[in-house]
Amino acid sequence: MTFSDETLLAYLEGSLDEAQSRAIEAAVEDDAQLERQLMALDPFAPVVQEVFERLPAESPQVNLPDSVAPARSGGFLRLVAVAATTAIAAVALTFWATRPADLGWAQQAAIYQSLYVPDTIASLDSSPASLTAQFAQAEAELGQSLNRDVLEALPGLELKRAQILSFKGKPLVQIVFADDQGRPFAFCVIRQGPAAANKDVKQAVLSGLATATWAQDGYGYMLLGSDAQVDLGGELNVLTETFSG
Amino acid sequence: MSVLTSRARSVKDKHTQVAFYSMGGEMSSEQAVRGAVQAHSKRVWRFALALSGASDVADDLMQATCVRALERHHQVTSHDRLDSWLMTICRSIWLNEVRSRSVRRAQALSVTPEAELIATVSDSETNIFAAEVFTQVMQLPEAQRETVMLVFVEGYSYREAAALLEVPIGTIMSRLSNARQKLKTVMQHDAADAVQRSGK
Repeated sequence: MTFSDETLLAYLEGSLDEAQSRAIEAAVEDDAQLERQLMALDPFAPVVQEVFERLPAESPQVNLPDSVAPARSGGFLRLVAVAATTAIAAVALTFWATRPADLGWAQQAAIYQSLYVPDTIASLDSSPASLTAQFAQAEAELGQSLNRDVLEALPGLELKRAQILSFKGKPLVQIVFADDQGRPFAFCVIRQGPAAANKDVKQAVLSGLATATWAQDGYGYMLLGSDAQVDLGGELNVLTETFSG
Repeated sequence: MSVLTSRARSVKDKHTQVAFYSMGGEMSSEQAVRGAVQAHSKRVWRFALALSGASDVADDLMQATCVRALERHHQVTSHDRLDSWLMTICRSIWLNEVRSRSVRRAQALSVTPEAELIATVSDSETNIFAAEVFTQVMQLPEAQRETVMLVFVEGYSYREAAALLEVPIGTIMSRLSNARQKLKTVMQHDAADAVQRSGK
């Protein structure tokens, strides 16, 4: 739908009727050009901008520490945790980078996940803002929804982070959770392409972790527990139902 | 927002990460964050002012934002749009750490235009108008105020503001519509004044 400048200006000035206003707002959602047009026509923006642009009169003084060791509350233990996490991440990356080439994605993911300890996830930024950004990026990379609401509602698991990895050029998303004792759980999704065969759920212990893998409609899925004994049943039911194409 | 990627994204961007560490001619993520803090301190301060409604809280909030950003420089894998990353950090500190203890005090204060706002303009009629616009914007509800600041003042698009504030784009537009209704009175007043002045 196209709108004349007069109509858009009437919208901006608040003199358009409710139905037309809603139509413009709905159209903007999918139309970046209309959005730019509206922003350019807005008579209020330049006035407000001119007033606030003068503030503050001088650039505020920012006092930044010379070194960037995290200095927030939590003190020594936090520092230890951060150092440990960094060390583990470094080991994990080395491991990942030097992996033998003939292992499948699930084995690789299990090796990577087996290096996770509670400290790895304890200091992750899992604020709603971070998670929203992470999920948006991960979903864009995969080209499919990760059903964040379902993941957030998994009983006994707290959503910590979604990060993008890659396996042989295919995007692989790892979503990490903490169980009620703070131990890491993970759910991985890889885009395998339309030619990949569907596979039924298969449970196995890989790299010391209880895992379940399946494939559906070009995507591979993997659930990884915190150790070899953990029962994946509850989560597996929810996830196989949600991610079954 | 894309800069908020996690550490192990570097599996994919390994070479970039290595360049960060080696600093061989390429800017490190820490340098990038230090540069962004200097470049965007004014806009972070303005956003902090819009959130808190008080310039002393804005000072503290901006300072906390910059220190936090530096602590998290390792999260930065792209140097693009570090400004919106800083805004996100600022808002998260405001919501999680500062707001509850500031709101009661801010409500008790009547918001007055900044002295420095008045000082920067010599024309007294322009001053009065600027002060009116300032007061009107600062009296908007917090959600409208932060949206007006991001879109009208900082020039973020509706969808960028929606992503930053984690609301649908329709919410951004209706917040702006409501704000415009309240700002209308001052603007019309100003337009009438301008006509008067030009007729002198």
